[in-house]
Amino acid sequence: MGYVAVEAGEEVIKRAEELFEKQRVDGDTEPVSVEQVDEQLSRLTAQAMSEGGVYAPRLAALAVKQAQGDTAEAAFLLRAYRSTLERWDETPPADPATMEATRRVSPAYKDVPGGQILGATKDYTQRLLDFELTDDTAADPTADWDIDGEEPPNLQNVLEVLRDEGLVHEPEDDAADTATEDDDTADTVPGDDDTAGTGTGNNDPSPFDTTREPITFPAPRPAILQELARGETGAVTALGYSELRGYGQVHPTLGEVRTGNLPVTIEHPYTGDEVQVTSTEVTETECVVPVYEKADDAQFAFGYGLVYGRTERKAIGMSILDAAIQLDGDEPAQNAEFVIDIVDGIDSFGFIEHLKLPHYVTFQSILDRIRAIRDRAAAATGDEEHAAVTADD
Amino acid sequence: MTDRQATSSTPDSVDALLDGVDADGLAGYNYAYLDEHTKREVRRSILKSIAIPGHQVPFASREMPLARGWGTGGIQASLSLLGPDDTFKVIDQGSDESVNAANIRRLATTTADVATTSDATEASIIQTRHRIPEEVLSDDQILVLQVPITDALRRVDGSDSANRRRHAHKNYSKMWVALYENIVEYGEIKLSARYPVMVADRYLMDPSPIPRWDVPKLDDADNLFLFAAGREARMYAVPPHTSVTPLAFEDREFQVERFDAAACRHCDSTDTFLTEVETDDGERVFACNDTAFCEKRAANPELTKAHHHDDPKAWGPPTDPAVPYGGDTPPSTNGADLGGDD
Amino acid sequence: MVVVDASGLTKIYGQPCGECVDNTGPAVGDNQCPVCGSVVACADIDFELYDGEVLGIVGESGSGKSSLAELLALDSEATAGTVTYEHYDGNLLAAGYQQRHQLQNERIGMVHQHVRDGLELDFSGGGNVAEKLLAAGWREYDAIRDRVRELFTETEVPVSRMDDPTDTYSGGMQRRVQIARAIANDPSLVILDEPTTGLDVSVQARVLDMFRRIQREQDVATIVVSHDLDVIRLLADRTLVMRHGRIIESGLTDRIMEDPHHEYTQTLINSVI
Repeated sequence: MGYVAVEAGEEVIKRAEELFEKQRVDGDTEPVSVEQVDEQLSRLTAQAMSEGGVYAPRLAALAVKQAQGDTAEAAFLLRAYRSTLERWDETPPADPATMEATRRVSPAYKDVPGGQILGATKDYTQRLLDFELTDDTAADPTADWDIDGEEPPNLQNVLEVLRDEGLVHEPEDDAADTATEDDDTADTVPGDDDTAGTGTGNNDPSPFDTTREPITFPAPRPAILQELARGETGAVTALGYSELRGYGQVHPTLGEVRTGNLPVTIEHPYTGDEVQVTSTEVTETECVVPVYEKADDAQFAFGYGLVYGRTERKAIGMSILDAAIQLDGDEPAQNAEFVIDIVDGIDSFGFIEHLKLPHYVTFQSILDRIRAIRDRAAAATGDEEHAAVTADD
Repeated sequence: MTDRQATSSTPDSVDALLDGVDADGLAGYNYAYLDEHTKREVRRSILKSIAIPGHQVPFASREMPLARGWGTGGIQASLSLLGPDDTFKVIDQGSDESVNAANIRRLATTTADVATTSDATEASIIQTRHRIPEEVLSDDQILVLQVPITDALRRVDGSDSANRRRHAHKNYSKMWVALYENIVEYGEIKLSARYPVMVADRYLMDPSPIPRWDVPKLDDADNLFLFAAGREARMYAVPPHTSVTPLAFEDREFQVERFDAAACRHCDSTDTFLTEVETDDGERVFACNDTAFCEKRAANPELTKAHHHDDPKAWGPPTDPAVPYGGDTPPSTNGADLGGDD
Repeated sequence: MVVVDASGLTKIYGQPCGECVDNTGPAVGDNQCPVCGSVVACADIDFELYDGEVLGIVGESGSGKSSLAELLALDSEATAGTVTYEHYDGNLLAAGYQQRHQLQNERIGMVHQHVRDGLELDFSGGGNVAEKLLAAGWREYDAIRDRVRELFTETEVPVSRMDDPTDTYSGGMQRRVQIARAIANDPSLVILDEPTTGLDVSVQARVLDMFRRIQREQDVATIVVSHDLDVIRLLADRTLVMRHGRIIESGLTDRIMEDPHHEYTQTLINSVI
């Protein structure tokens, strides 16, 4: 960086970008297609969508490809893209009971109405590297399954059972039991939809949207849930873990973990009927915590988690943090300001990496200070022999 | 909240969008990248900041194609203000060619089609990271500073809600005690950049990590200063002719950086902010930090910092005799002996 | 001259139903309203404090004396009552946030029962005292240092410890620093809330002696709240005896100690071991 023409900086950036791209294309292999990423690395794309706050599997696959697999970078690309989109509608609150569940387990009970449906999971599988995958024939192991054409059973929400008994404390305040997803569906139409998930009922037509209004503390619960839903997976997991690990009082029992396709509906602009326009794959978690706010009317504290895709640890972590923040307290995960300040992946990624930017002006200032302080201390030591020491006692 | 009024010509399918992205110039995005709704909101926040000097105004900071921490706040402010008739200068650490400054400039020229310059006297809007240019700015110029940490009180308390209450009640005693404890421990105030200042005798403000050298330029200036933080989602301002005083004791004055009579090795200036460079031979040399001004000085050593004004004005040390600048001598302690400092 | 004139001071915790004051007090033998469950910490408190005088407020736990101290120090909101104060126009209890803080910085000094309410433990001892001066607008570092040294000497805290963090101080030293803070800006009213709690007996005596000396030298009106009769006897010119949130007896301290009238006061005096 000499004292030359301004273009030098731009040229340098261009070269750096080209070197980055080279890492992706410089091998002997065929370029990975966006479709391949979408179909075969869906956990990766789901994480990018979840942290990006936009449901658009193909765009997420493109972002993952462009970012060479870095989920933070992919989420960043999606967020930046999302922020240029026009929002043309909001959905009415979505009811997770309408979800076509492909997986539903309830740790709270042995048996539940509709049954425990394990679904697609490796939870109980031994984690052994499968070397056969190096030479994949992509055979579908379920091809020979005997599928019975019966209607799937109605999976009643387990938390409703507890609510009917009056055991669950409904988080009070302005936006009632609204869990707000920050989401836009851009697969077919590059516009915005808003899906708001509900607890037991919602009177608020337009929940707080942190992408439109700045958040200040104390923050309303919808704002907190939205930030958690968009939060960085590692951060949400780690903070949730801290509560379990002993830094807090939240040791929850999960009422439900449910994965499936949630229909996205809008009000038809002409007829006013509710019409389904698409669906998003989500994972929902509800937990109860045996911490009772009032001794005479003991009720469980309640935590809610909802994420795009199947990242269950994030959904569970989110529900733990929801409960922890409601309960409030001195531990880090119970402090709303602390959690919301650090849980956003784009903010943390950006600020940490910004340390790589030149800081030599600030550093010059710091050098000036430390040298002045050292000079002063050296002069003082020199003077001690000559000056009378004033008695301070 | 919908944006039906937005004027962007959004592509009608993902494929059309992806086609648009291939072409140079980001076809399909609004003028100056941000949609009109965002620009309106940012401008409203700017107006509110100007109305209450030094007060932090929250705004819904949008995600930008640059990472948080890399100037997203400054960009949102600049892009909301730039129009086709503006001239834009971008500097980082005082230099136009810094890679990040170049990147920001690129975004502006591509999406807003503005003229750019490296001459501080020609720009209508200057976006800067951590420096105020050497040349005196005029009353038709706006300086947009990138801010990482918006609250000077963050040094004494991490909680934003507690600090907001302190600001509301002008209760800054914790900050003062922190300065007192500094002097007790080090004999002087050890704060370097991000030196806390009082604006219009009402709000304590963080001037962003500009060196102390630049802090006096904020006081009673002709130009508007805007401070924007994208990650922390806050904006604040120092309007023209506002009083800005750095916190200090009457007998432990605010001090700027000293360069021990070193001169810039390129233009020989002794009145600019210098930064040191370790050369390959192990030598330590100094050079002007404001590279554009350094070029001008190299061509014309007699050039003053206010050469483009009819009424030359002092602008920071050491051209302004009111600002204590030590030169060779260690900081003055007003007669107190160095040895006995308690 | 009257420094403080309190009338009808009342503090109720909870949602008062209107009958709380009538249904509580020494006659009833309880602070809690049987109708609505609110707790009447103190009610209908009237007294005057004269210039240079020390007024003692004595009572056992639940008597309401600490609640009363907090009201007077403007640390909590009163439910009812007025206080006229020589340096404030109108009802002191109605002062706004800004004015409260100004009064607490410059006119009214409070020494809290619990150290964490009165001091910032991670500041130095000197820093804690300096905070009062800085809040009152002192801006000369050397002058601040001199005044802090002076106050440390007055309150018998070793000046050599001035720059050590307050959490390294002994309990007695911390209490003295609190007193130094309270008198830093030459207030016209000082409130001591249980000034000897948590201190060793020998330290208690010295802290009280120190305060008595300062109070006499500076002639500052003082309210001292304590459950300990010895503290009251040593410091107070006049005394109020509180029980279940009401004043049940008042008079010159000597008189109350020698010749208590109210049955409860008699029990209190005679219970001293």
